[in-house]
Amino acid sequence: MVIFGGTGDLTSRKLMPALYDLARQRLLPPAFAVVGVGRGELTDAEYRSQLREAVGQHSRSRPIDQEVWASFAERLYYVSVRADDGYADLRRRLEHFDGELGTEGDRLFYLATPPTAYVPIVRSIGRHELRGPRGWSRVVVEKPFGRDLASATALSRTLHEVFAEDEIFRIDHYLGKETVQNILVFRFANSIFEPVWNRRYVDHVQISVAEPIGVEERTEYYDTAGAMRDVVQNHLLQLLALVAMEPPVAFDANAVRDEKVKVLRSIRPIRPKELAERAARGQYGPGFIEGEAVVGYHDAPEVAPESRTETFVALKLFVDNWRWEGTPFYLRHGKRLPKRATEIAIQFRAVPHHLFSEDAREGMEPNTLVVRIQPEEGISLKFGAKVPVQGVRIRSVAMDFVYGASFLVDAPDAYETLILDALRGDATLFTRQDEVEEQWRLVDPVLEAWRRSADPVPLYAAGTWGPQEADIFMARDGRRWRQP
Amino acid sequence: MTVDEVATVARAAVVNIVVVATREVHALRAAATVSELAMRHPSRAIVVLMDRRPDPDAAPAIELHAQLPSVDRYEQVHYEQILVRARGDCADRLTSVIVPLLVPDLPIFVWWTGSPAIGQRHFDDVVAFADRLLVDSADFARPEATLPELAGRCMIGRRRCALTDLNWARLTGWRELLTQFFDVPTWRAMLPHVDGVRVSFSVDADGREIHPSQALLLIGWLGARLGWSPAERIAPSEAGGLLFSMRRSDGAPVRVRVRPRFERGMAEGDVTGIRVEGERDGRRSEFRVHAMSGDGRPRYATLSVRQDGTLAAERIVPLPPTDVVRLLGEELTILASDRVYEEALALLLALS
Repeated sequence: MVIFGGTGDLTSRKLMPALYDLARQRLLPPAFAVVGVGRGELTDAEYRSQLREAVGQHSRSRPIDQEVWASFAERLYYVSVRADDGYADLRRRLEHFDGELGTEGDRLFYLATPPTAYVPIVRSIGRHELRGPRGWSRVVVEKPFGRDLASATALSRTLHEVFAEDEIFRIDHYLGKETVQNILVFRFANSIFEPVWNRRYVDHVQISVAEPIGVEERTEYYDTAGAMRDVVQNHLLQLLALVAMEPPVAFDANAVRDEKVKVLRSIRPIRPKELAERAARGQYGPGFIEGEAVVGYHDAPEVAPESRTETFVALKLFVDNWRWEGTPFYLRHGKRLPKRATEIAIQFRAVPHHLFSEDAREGMEPNTLVVRIQPEEGISLKFGAKVPVQGVRIRSVAMDFVYGASFLVDAPDAYETLILDALRGDATLFTRQDEVEEQWRLVDPVLEAWRRSADPVPLYAAGTWGPQEADIFMARDGRRWRQP
Repeated sequence: MTVDEVATVARAAVVNIVVVATREVHALRAAATVSELAMRHPSRAIVVLMDRRPDPDAAPAIELHAQLPSVDRYEQVHYEQILVRARGDCADRLTSVIVPLLVPDLPIFVWWTGSPAIGQRHFDDVVAFADRLLVDSADFARPEATLPELAGRCMIGRRRCALTDLNWARLTGWRELLTQFFDVPTWRAMLPHVDGVRVSFSVDADGREIHPSQALLLIGWLGARLGWSPAERIAPSEAGGLLFSMRRSDGAPVRVRVRPRFERGMAEGDVTGIRVEGERDGRRSEFRVHAMSGDGRPRYATLSVRQDGTLAAERIVPLPPTDVVRLLGEELTILASDRVYEEALALLLALS
């Protein structure tokens, strides 16, 4: 496994801890080596001790087991690549492993660099024939995959110069989360939910990804990307696809992805004249998060004073197909919201006829099925129950399933799942080119309309649930955003 | 056990209870009440203690102390209590601490001890996320002015936060007893002819602590139910009492007298008795409920009916206890706003 960006943040916070945890669970193949590629000059020993510290901080199984680490670190190498001769060095190392360690030409390239480096790295892989003479080669590409439809297509074209589509693993780490995979199990391994999973019974769907953190550490990237490109284009649309898709013909990579693409293709594009009714954006101002005063987006030193980058996006989408015609899907994502919460809420229709008096029903809300992705992963179903008093008084109660309380095993981290799948060649949880392109096709016109618009970006105080525009947008439909 | 192993528990919480207090003694008493209720209403309780005394040496600070998850004495219900201690001027950031601690999808009850900080930012912020605001108007200096104002503050946009007054909940027993008289058809016929009401409420021995709000609520309720309208404003009478009149739907006046009384074993402000009288076809009737204490507590009520001064009926019934635990327990079963209470309040507002 070759990690480009071997000294980067992603490698130390996610990839190495995941690899170490896989090693600890004896899940890595016996013939396996990791080569970190970076610009700096480091010896293998220096690289190992640097990562030892990172893994100690970020692994989900702390403290580190010395024996496991020692044996894992023996297969950990570093190659400095600044110019072409670095690639020659890298190639020699890889060929050496093929004989010495028995990796037999199998190669997994992981692009964990800033996206601007993707194209030169991929071309160098091709030019220096880093693909082994035998065995398989695959490439894992981190998000962002392009910054619009045109650049995403161009990036795919470059990747295809060296890799076939089934060798390209575009990562969306949300798909590696246990609860996200469970959406498919919940829907297609149970018979009672699917019959009501459609426009006849579902009033609307709300998908929220709320984060209390700001963008401090990656302002430079964020200011050019914004919330839409950072989260909505990938994570939120993928969640929508999993919730709305038809049953796939089989649980394999292409069958599942075929169904997701069909959903993405059915989503009605947002036309510029519908912008106000179907999209809202916002940028956080100063406020308070968990009692701490935090600065506004604009007050960060790296942010350009004229920056109109959105840190909040709300969308109203329609999936124009047989199953979902007319049922709105509300998507919402923001930074500096009051709490960390990712959830999918399916709100069912109210009963067709009210049998009980208005007074009796006042504490009641329509049935809602909530899939909590984080924190407190689980599923809860809200239904009305009679309060045990004289007469009828109805109150909504929740039937709760909490992952952590039902299964007393630690869920693997998303990156463990995804790295292992890439090593095994299972692309089910990775996004295919056509998915990525459909996702851009949906967000591009909105981004473009916002870019052209002279209206100021609405502000919201840090620690609130987004700008008023998002509430108005919901209120117009007679609905309310949930408070996850 | 490692931290990870206790991180998730099967939770039985049915409600979020946020207690707001400015005095430590109130906060602790409320915390004890909520935890006593945990068996009937397992909850996530967040007790906010706002110490707003300016302290020049300390910056505004918020501390969290969690008691998680404590297994109650029956070892069946997990009860979670979080103490939020805010020192100095933290009003602007208070909700940013509370909101992330709420369990999603559960109703949010806010119990504001003492007088609510109407018009202050943290009050509006808290009411904005609450489903139900619980206050105790027995603690208010001027309940007749504060209560209607509170009701107005509870409308947030198109959403409303239901307002509950523990002092109103204390009257439930009185309302029940009073209406029972009029289940008897001949006595019910008296109702349109009521021309006088007297309510007495408890004060301390030297008559300094005068809290007529409960008595006024009872009168507001009676008037609103019987369709009376205000004839003159509430005016003070001798010895801390109140005297005023209302008008029946036929235009005839109803004299109302509210009197403080010292009674051993009664909590200050609690109603101790009510008398409703009227005249029909030349006969005067008088309906009276009077609390009697036993073991130092109001335990029984005597109900009597007199016609032309002669005792027509008398019985003694137990009064339901009105400790805060029981009252709160009752209130937690209700989510909706109480229209009967609001109508009583509206009449009081017109009188003040």
